[in-house]
Amino acid sequence: MTGKPTTCGFCGCGCALYVQTNGNQIVTVAPSQNHPITSGRLCIKGWYGPHSILNSNRLRTPLVRTGDQLTPAPWDEAVGTVASAIRDVLSRRGPRAIGVIGSARLTNEECYMLSRFARAVIGTPNLDSSCRFYDASLIPGLLQTVGIPASQVQIPELPKAGSMLIVGANVTEQLPQIGSRIAEAARNGCKIVVVDPRTSRLSAFADFFVRPRPGTDLTLIKVLLKTILIRDMYPDSSKQLPGFEPFSHSLGSVSIDRVEEICGVSVEAVSEMAEMLAENPPTVVMFGSGVLQQANSTEIVKALADLAVLLGGSVMPLRGHNNAQGACDMGAVKDLLPGYMPLSEESSRRKWESVWNCRISAEGGMSALEMLNACRSGDIEVLLLFGENLALSAPNTEASMDALRSVKFLAVSDLYLTETASMANVVFPACSFLEKDGTFTNVEGRVQRVRKVVPPVAESKSDMEIMADIAKALGAELPRDPQAVMDEIAQNVPQYSNVSYARLDEEWGQPWPRNEIIPKLALLGSNGEDTKQRYMFRLISSHVNFPHRTGSMSRMIHILAREYPEPFAELNAADAEEMGLRNGSRVRIFSEAGSLVRQVILSDAVPPGCIHVPYFFGTNTPNALASYECDPESGTPVYKACAVELEAVE
Amino acid sequence: MVLTAARPRRMWGVNDGAGSGLYIPKIAVVERIVDETPDTKTFRLRFEDEDFASSFSWEPGQFVEVTVFGVGEAPIGFASNPMEPCPFELTVVARGKVTRAMHALKVGDRVGIRGPLGNCWPLEQTKGMDLLIVSGGCGLAPLRPLIFHVLANRNDYGDIWLLYGARTPADRDYKQDLETWAARNDMYVLQSVDVPDGTWKQHVGVVGSLLPLVKLNPEETAAFVCGPPVMIKFVARDLLKMGFTEDRVITSLERHMKCGVGKCGHCCINHLYVCTDGPIFTYQQVRTLYEIDI
Amino acid sequence: MKVGSAFILDKARVGEFIESLGSEMQIVAPKRQFGGDVAFAAIKHPDEISWDYGNDIHPPKRFLLPHYEVLFRYKTNDSIQIEPVMEERPQAIVGIRSCDVTALRQQERFFCSQICDPHFESRSKNTVLFSLVCNQPREECFCICCDSGPYLFSGYDVQLTDLGDRFLYEVGSEKGAEVSAPREHLLANASEKDLKLRDSIWLNADAKFQTTSYLAKAILFISANEVPQSVWDQFGAECFRCGSCTNLCPVCSCFNVEDTKDGDGAFTRWRYWDSCQFAGFTREASGYNPRATFGSRVQRRFYHKASYQYITRDGRHGCVGCGRCVVGCMADLGVPSVVKRLRRAVSEQAKLEAPA
Repeated sequence: MTGKPTTCGFCGCGCALYVQTNGNQIVTVAPSQNHPITSGRLCIKGWYGPHSILNSNRLRTPLVRTGDQLTPAPWDEAVGTVASAIRDVLSRRGPRAIGVIGSARLTNEECYMLSRFARAVIGTPNLDSSCRFYDASLIPGLLQTVGIPASQVQIPELPKAGSMLIVGANVTEQLPQIGSRIAEAARNGCKIVVVDPRTSRLSAFADFFVRPRPGTDLTLIKVLLKTILIRDMYPDSSKQLPGFEPFSHSLGSVSIDRVEEICGVSVEAVSEMAEMLAENPPTVVMFGSGVLQQANSTEIVKALADLAVLLGGSVMPLRGHNNAQGACDMGAVKDLLPGYMPLSEESSRRKWESVWNCRISAEGGMSALEMLNACRSGDIEVLLLFGENLALSAPNTEASMDALRSVKFLAVSDLYLTETASMANVVFPACSFLEKDGTFTNVEGRVQRVRKVVPPVAESKSDMEIMADIAKALGAELPRDPQAVMDEIAQNVPQYSNVSYARLDEEWGQPWPRNEIIPKLALLGSNGEDTKQRYMFRLISSHVNFPHRTGSMSRMIHILAREYPEPFAELNAADAEEMGLRNGSRVRIFSEAGSLVRQVILSDAVPPGCIHVPYFFGTNTPNALASYECDPESGTPVYKACAVELEAVE
Repeated sequence: MVLTAARPRRMWGVNDGAGSGLYIPKIAVVERIVDETPDTKTFRLRFEDEDFASSFSWEPGQFVEVTVFGVGEAPIGFASNPMEPCPFELTVVARGKVTRAMHALKVGDRVGIRGPLGNCWPLEQTKGMDLLIVSGGCGLAPLRPLIFHVLANRNDYGDIWLLYGARTPADRDYKQDLETWAARNDMYVLQSVDVPDGTWKQHVGVVGSLLPLVKLNPEETAAFVCGPPVMIKFVARDLLKMGFTEDRVITSLERHMKCGVGKCGHCCINHLYVCTDGPIFTYQQVRTLYEIDI
Repeated sequence: MKVGSAFILDKARVGEFIESLGSEMQIVAPKRQFGGDVAFAAIKHPDEISWDYGNDIHPPKRFLLPHYEVLFRYKTNDSIQIEPVMEERPQAIVGIRSCDVTALRQQERFFCSQICDPHFESRSKNTVLFSLVCNQPREECFCICCDSGPYLFSGYDVQLTDLGDRFLYEVGSEKGAEVSAPREHLLANASEKDLKLRDSIWLNADAKFQTTSYLAKAILFISANEVPQSVWDQFGAECFRCGSCTNLCPVCSCFNVEDTKDGDGAFTRWRYWDSCQFAGFTREASGYNPRATFGSRVQRRFYHKASYQYITRDGRHGCVGCGRCVVGCMADLGVPSVVKRLRRAVSEQAKLEAPA
């Protein structure tokens, strides 16, 4: 067994795994018993993932497009092709015609290098990551309230909570270790309130399960806040919090009596929620993709954070990816420099100009979604993707794939020939988390060591090396040693000042320090509720257990794929009967953006008027139904509660 | 005499020296492929190793694990005449990954075979009895070797009734054999389909609807039932109503299988392993198992 | 050297003993990993052994039934060439606990009966177990309820009891005797005093258990299918389907078989640990699944562990009280917890059904 564990590269829990190898294959995976999160157990992805992601479907060499074929090519040719394309556009159009998109799977060191690569080497402000499509919406909301764009609570502390509010998150299936602490908290008497339109597996542990209509969470939370305010159910000290007055005034127009009409949740239910939470401190407020990918996601995040702050509790945003937290910490995000220093602030720019020895323009860049639009319009001519199957994570699959097809030059680094990679001009074979050194930052903000346990598969290289290769071809030097990069990060990113490989070789990683930040209450804008039902059904999309995000890795794992062999959708029995659908019938689900066909399974976990469509089936994805509509403040697309129609298919 | 499922004379890994090769398939060549129905083909296979081929034997009811190289392994029952053990035939419905890959094979292609596996129809114990064979759809395949055996040893058995039901006339397996058997004057053959076509002159309905036409004394008859699980369930009930005792209703069950030798655990129904305790079971054996709906 | 004989191995001579043993076979022993973790690993030097450990959360069944094992490799170029793979290296597992010894013996009976699994048999034949009695059971242990520890009267090769400055060294099998014979010069005869000390240590250990699980009643209910379906369904609703219970259980042995492509016409047939707790474990190609619900799968696990039907097949029930499922379950569905809830549910049901 490897003497030192590595950190799992699937979900945001960040379990510590030991692996035993035989040559280039993994023959045993074991959990750490003493690691505070792992506690001697793993989920199905941990048990079965590592062996499979080294399989023969992995890209083995770089690929370069000639005509409509991608053919194996040597590294210098592939790198040279990318460098030429970049140089060409730089000279004709300038750096703004180049876009760089990273992923929440990459290590911190790689995400940091991505920032440097984009801003210092290429000079483009168009830098973003897949977080844009999943959870970047928590950044503005949390910065305006609790002050840190990260969890305030550590996973081992959860069983001691007095109450929990879990909104829009399928925790037991997506973040199992956090789910296990929720189950433990329930056994300890913690009051657990779950809010989700679809009855999830959390219901086994919930004291109260509230099912609002999809897309109405903001109203529900505002009504809950108002209930707590009106009935004085919060600690007196909260009145002294900065922003209290404007916050409480901003709830003035909220009508508690309309909650049933808008959300489908009774006034009594909201009252019970309020009592359960307010009367059982300390409260932990958790929220996942159900909130983060909804329309008005930033506002919902603010409202939830306000709730936690008001009650003297804490927030734990539930981020699915292994390194979503780290990717944002490292500035692989539109208009943020590492450490959340805003691009718009001169002091931030000066600092990083000096660290990276470059010029950084004050002009902001495009988000990942805006870059896709720009690909179609030709404003972006070169798009560089690192570790993200954008075709499947972007909304409006058809339009997004079109954009990726039509961009003048697309270079992709990935483990497999994904849907995105197969449209590229150049594909680089990348290393999985098992084949490189680095760190990941989990949901708690805990920075943990990723240790290379097997040699890179065939000719694959880490994304850090790929970026360094391209930089070299452009005449710039980027470091290749992850440890040296982390030293640079520790020196310059305050949140990571305590991180060092030497320390991580002696102890488990720690969450980054929460300095004394005084939380604020943010005022909440008024929202226009979309109560018109132009379409019959509301979409509930989810990641079913096992398959993870776009499934590039998890679809390769037989045991996982075996759990869900057929693309399916779940429908309430009453709705199904009305439409003449039975178990096994096929149904076409469509919206203005696109359509897909699924096999029907009847389920009372799905409320009437909704259809549950899980991810996991490649291009047969509920994202096809989402448009390019975004949350205005964060630019995160709206994937949830989309209005759709159904039609039986023969 | 209480009937029980029979222990076979030969079982891979038990008494045939498979030894350290328990999981290693023997190579067999596809000699012939016949289309039975739109989704079913019968493959005739011969072992490459001539010594192994000449000493090979199996009994009706047993099965093999077939390897499609590059794809995987799947269990398929012997479907040919056991008096001619090699080459032997397997009838395969294209349903999963391996069976679909089998359907893409050509004559001359090689597959891997581990077998014979499983137990067998009790044909010794039932000597002297009348036989009622009830099959549905692809369930005729595991019964075909039994029919060949019984016809080759005709004097050892009394009356023979064969009842066969399929969805449509085209969905019947072994159409040629059915004609031959129906033409014989030493057995009764009744066929039924759910949906007739223009030329169908025989019965319409589920195979169970043929039972009232059978003239047999349940106390002197052994019933062999094979087909989709729902069919087995309802036919068994009908037979019991007719007066059959639970040990006189014998069936072949299926479960998802991997190793075929009782180690991997996939095929368990309660404490019984379909691959080694079965696939042949009497109704008496399985009636009390809560993990089967029968 | 007779089976049943008892010796003393002075702790000062353990290093020499291990080195001598290590010259004949690979030694697997508890070894410090990281952050307080201890796991069974191959050791080269006696100092690497961590004698004061509890247990390895990852079960030592992996040394006889590897997590991932190659059954054979093959090539499909012009003809089919099959290359069998078999592990025959001799190994000693030193410091294994009584619960795990019991579990391995059960697996040996299962894999080597009637149809003999050659891979398991080869490893098992080539493995000798030097078990170490637990003087101090851990919080989650309940082997005492499962007739599998903290010490054994039979079924071990060599059983060590820590008497302080020396180990009591009991030979329990022919294999144990054979492997001990070359090192007899490092052993002294055990005295009556040593055996009395052993007895008192054993009794002491018996008294320290914090977890108990009264399986007997549960076995009755489960075997007769008397547990209300709603109880299994409640367990099913709580189950996370992570697979930790079966992967961590030292007795569980179900596996999946898969052919993987290595490239250039080369393939490997692997087998690896599988779990009856997954829906795909029993789903047939047609899509039909005889265990379609979570509840039916939890019920399956307990039926396999604790039913007289399986006890009759396997010679004993399927739990050795190691406590790994207690630690490893994401919900709280370890054996003790489920057994307790089952017993309560059945007796409450009986109260409901009792004549007024």
